[in-house]
Amino acid sequence: MTTPAISTADLAEFRAEVRRWCRAEVPSDWRRTQAGASDDEFVRFQQEWFQRLRTAGFAVPHWPAEWGGGMPVAQQVVLYQELAAHDAPRLVLGFVSIHHAASTLLAAGTDEQRRRHLPAILDGEIWVQGFSEPEAGSDLASLRTTARREGDGFVVDGQKLWASGAAHADWCLLLARTDPAVPKRRGISYFLMDMRSPGIDVRPVRNAAGESHFCEIFLNGVVIPAENLVGPVDQGWQVAQSTLSAERGMTMLELAERLGNAGFRWLVETCRTPGPGGGRPVDDPRVLDRLAELDTEIAGLRALCRGLVERHEAGTAGPVEASVVKLYYSELLQRTMDFAVEVAGLPAHAELRKPASSGWESGAWVLDFIGSWEWTIPGGTSEIQRTIIGERGLGLPREPVVSS
Amino acid sequence: MNTELSEEAVEYGRTALRAFEAAGGDQIVQDAEREPARRADLVEPVLAELGAWDLDPRGGADELEAVAALCRVAGWWALPYPVAERLARPADSSTDGLVVIAGTGPGGAGGTGDGLGAGDAGLVGYGPAAPVAGLGRRWSTVTFDGGRGIATAAPPATTPRYGAFVTGLVDDPALVPSQASRDGDGLADLALGLVLPCWTLLGMLDRAIDLTRAHVLAREQFGQPLARFQGVQFQLTDAEVERLGVEELAKYALWAVATGRGEAVDDALALRLAILEAADQVFRVAHQLHGAMGFCDETTLSWISRYSQPARRLPLGLSATRDELTRRIGRAGLAGPFAPRREPDLEVQPL
Repeated sequence: MTTPAISTADLAEFRAEVRRWCRAEVPSDWRRTQAGASDDEFVRFQQEWFQRLRTAGFAVPHWPAEWGGGMPVAQQVVLYQELAAHDAPRLVLGFVSIHHAASTLLAAGTDEQRRRHLPAILDGEIWVQGFSEPEAGSDLASLRTTARREGDGFVVDGQKLWASGAAHADWCLLLARTDPAVPKRRGISYFLMDMRSPGIDVRPVRNAAGESHFCEIFLNGVVIPAENLVGPVDQGWQVAQSTLSAERGMTMLELAERLGNAGFRWLVETCRTPGPGGGRPVDDPRVLDRLAELDTEIAGLRALCRGLVERHEAGTAGPVEASVVKLYYSELLQRTMDFAVEVAGLPAHAELRKPASSGWESGAWVLDFIGSWEWTIPGGTSEIQRTIIGERGLGLPREPVVSS
Repeated sequence: MNTELSEEAVEYGRTALRAFEAAGGDQIVQDAEREPARRADLVEPVLAELGAWDLDPRGGADELEAVAALCRVAGWWALPYPVAERLARPADSSTDGLVVIAGTGPGGAGGTGDGLGAGDAGLVGYGPAAPVAGLGRRWSTVTFDGGRGIATAAPPATTPRYGAFVTGLVDDPALVPSQASRDGDGLADLALGLVLPCWTLLGMLDRAIDLTRAHVLAREQFGQPLARFQGVQFQLTDAEVERLGVEELAKYALWAVATGRGEAVDDALALRLAILEAADQVFRVAHQLHGAMGFCDETTLSWISRYSQPARRLPLGLSATRDELTRRIGRAGLAGPFAPRREPDLEVQPL
């Protein structure tokens, strides 16, 4: 889907428009009100912010025009730059809905499925991804949750893990095994599962930071009507692959812009804050060196993301560009948060409240550092990304794999 | 120079490892976090049974090595108890233990010159602190220039879930010795107070490697254990090389303390710097290879990692430790096991 070219003058006018909008609409006190917000307050705030963006036409710019999007890519880039520069709240709650769920429906859904869910997502329907399992992490294709054909539907049994935000979800993107007899990638189907169905039990998993936005989902005889199947039976792996590869362009650009704008500003602010002894970290040349190094790396990341988005749009993106961006972002985020923890010192360890609705760099540095591991582990670990770059990018021999 | 631990010390460590395993093993820290008031009761009877209170780390190499071996075991189980600090208590048992605190000048909480009032006591990050919450009240302190003092432990400002039993140390003028001591004993206390917690941290690194090795051997993805992937093997081996390096350094620094060498404080700081760097690498690899589960309460690694934080941040974190070591050794460098002896007439200017 190629969008029309846009003139420099038009782009500058659009930037001015977004700036005006941000100054008027970004709540000035959201960091304070979202710090330590209850689950209910967080959900309410996210829904409200989403609707505000929607009214402006900024909520789903990447969707096709007929569903409420259609913004040219060059404008989307400007939009995410400006939102990041104005430290706008991040769409955390609806992330899976507007990206993974929407791209799945658009790429492989039926007209009926699109009509039912895309407008509902705009009205606030929340989705969760039900892919990983206890025995199927990096090796997603070895998943064991089963969907058994029964009458006019499927009966699902199994367990999903690391389902981010499952406690708030209305619907779930579910991968389940429909044919246990064939090699593992071939017997998987893709379903849309109503989270209000009987037989679903969601339990939070508490992590080292004391948060529990990750959940386990236990599935006990959950009935899914046949019309909620996405794509053909047993072809779910292909559906998942196509939608997963579609996700990393603009979402990574948005994250890179956040890291480079408000995120880096928070870091510099921390470096300017006097410590308990009175000295400012920024007066230490070693601190300046590290800041300059990180600033350079972040500029490189932003350029990489910009290039990926443009080449994706032009249809010339290489097979490993998304892996390069994911690997580089995740490890750079970790290094940056690590440095922030070092600079902020012990008081950062006593900072237990991170503003909900913030990005991966909230300024609660220890929590951010722990959170940065959510980037080198899920969505294809750094090890998996390196393997992809080695094998598909450099054409190196494949790692010996035992299983079929 | 023999830096190997005596066979008796090694055997004592093995006995201690089994004793704490029998007392609950990994469950001990979890029980203490849930019920902080039980902290002492969960650990002290085992220490008594092991005869730990009879050990005097200043009483010669044999006893010091036994104490080090015990500290290492405390790290292995992430015991919710400052074993190193307690066993370094003064010989006359006039206080509950010895902790090194940041800053210079006479020991005690007022010695850092940060101008914070008593109202800040217990706030982690704003003055001297140590993982001694809810235990004894009186703690001997020593600063980085050997100034000794006495402080009282404030009530903890947060739960152990977030504070890992760290609490502020408050200067009590009534308890500070009348004359601030800056003699050789203060520096000996400093070296001892730095080296022993490093042995506790070493035990934590031992455990993190052990847990990760077991995990990558057991966890199968793509039809084979993770350990079969060379990219996984090499990460773990790099971490193990770090751990082995600091193990040697820990023995050397212990020997320097045991033999009362003048540069024992330099060696202790060098050990601390090296083990903080090693801890960063070991725990990063351990977490990455454990995957998301490594950050959850269900895995032992998560507990070891969380409870390693006080030892890695207090009294000084990585960059502050590097700074302190650099200032102290200046251009003279470390004596070390292989360096030529310093020329007596070579005047070293302080920075």
